[in-house]
Amino acid sequence: MHAFSVTEFLNLANNALRDFWDQSAFVVEGEVTDFRVSRGQWVNFSIKDEEGLLPCFMVAYKLHLPIQDGMKIRIHGYPRIYPKYGKFSFNVETVELVGEGDLQKALKLLRKKLEKEGFFDPERKRELPRFPQKVALIASTESAAYGDFIRIINERWRGIQIDAYHVLVQGQRAPKSIIQAIEAAQKTDYDALILTRGGGSLEELMAFNDEGLVRALHGSRIPTLVGIGHERDTSLAEDVADVRASTPTDCARRLVPDRGDILYEISMREQGIANELQDTLAEKQRIIQNATSQAINWLTALREKQSQSEERLEQLARHWFQTLEDHVESLTRFCGSFDPAFVLKRGYAYIEAHGKILTSVNTLEANAKIKIHLRDGARSATINKK
Amino acid sequence: MTTKKTKGDFASKFKELEDIAEWFEKGEPDIDKGMKKFERASALAKELKTVLEEAENKIQIIRSSNEE
Repeated sequence: MHAFSVTEFLNLANNALRDFWDQSAFVVEGEVTDFRVSRGQWVNFSIKDEEGLLPCFMVAYKLHLPIQDGMKIRIHGYPRIYPKYGKFSFNVETVELVGEGDLQKALKLLRKKLEKEGFFDPERKRELPRFPQKVALIASTESAAYGDFIRIINERWRGIQIDAYHVLVQGQRAPKSIIQAIEAAQKTDYDALILTRGGGSLEELMAFNDEGLVRALHGSRIPTLVGIGHERDTSLAEDVADVRASTPTDCARRLVPDRGDILYEISMREQGIANELQDTLAEKQRIIQNATSQAINWLTALREKQSQSEERLEQLARHWFQTLEDHVESLTRFCGSFDPAFVLKRGYAYIEAHGKILTSVNTLEANAKIKIHLRDGARSATINKK
Repeated sequence: MTTKKTKGDFASKFKELEDIAEWFEKGEPDIDKGMKKFERASALAKELKTVLEEAENKIQIIRSSNEE
């Protein structure tokens, strides 16, 4: 007989449990009961069925779903006896919801929680650039959604660079795969980040309701465009996205404009500019013509005014000269009346002695030589006596 | 898929074309400036059309190292 210490026995039991339990193949399904979170770090709950109860332990950061008592879940992880207290529990790595009703209930709870944090506020929505040059596409490159997206982009646009991050879009590992791609894309200067997949059931699309994924999208510094094909209720990933599309095809349409429309717009702009320039030139020409004809009119008016002035000046001058001439003539006549010759003609004479005209007899001595001037000449004479 | 690198940024060129159109719509009177802007607009329109008619889309698939 072999005696084990308690610790040895517990280790043996735990090793046996680990060897027996194939984590990748086994899960346990049951209804949640007694769910509680302590200090925001540890999650304790049990799952039960009609006859049994399994205590479960989980670290809080691994839980991405809002769990409530009564929900039916599937747990991934391993069973273990906690040596210190000898308590058997299931160490939960991931939780999956089973049953549409529970999925919807969980989704509602998570939506409410994120809503409170302002994740879906319209004011935080960013616009996508009109002409994205370089984008990150997060999708399964093996999916029809990927093919549809690329086909529509190629139909509509030219010159875009698409970095397609291949991810898992379904199953337990999908959220992590997508979160990693979102984080990797943040290192590049993309104009937009697109997350898309085709339609599926609520269960198939649960990755797009994963809290971690929604938080990663919310934290993206690149504007996000999310389009998941489905018939009912939108996923949280779509609600948190800056722009939401209904399908992968719609994603492509929302990302790039139709090049035909843009070519038309360019032509219209070009034509508009040419017309405006032509109008401006015509207007300038009209202004110049107007100015020229005004200058000509002004010159003509000036010339006319000048010629009128010249005529007036000539008239004035003529009148002035005439007046002057008349004045000179009357002065001449007036002066003529003082001419001695004019007096001599009337029978008067004057006497000159020694070159001087005599005006008194007192100056004449006997024998003085004098000269007598008459109308037609002069004669010399001598004074007989005084 | 082969790639033909597009010269410059489509968005900024388109914006410049729009700005020129707006400048003309405002009815700026400067003919010299107008002629220069018209020439620039024609060049931009040509470049933009070339991108839309001749450039190709470049698609690159990135697989994460710890996938599958």
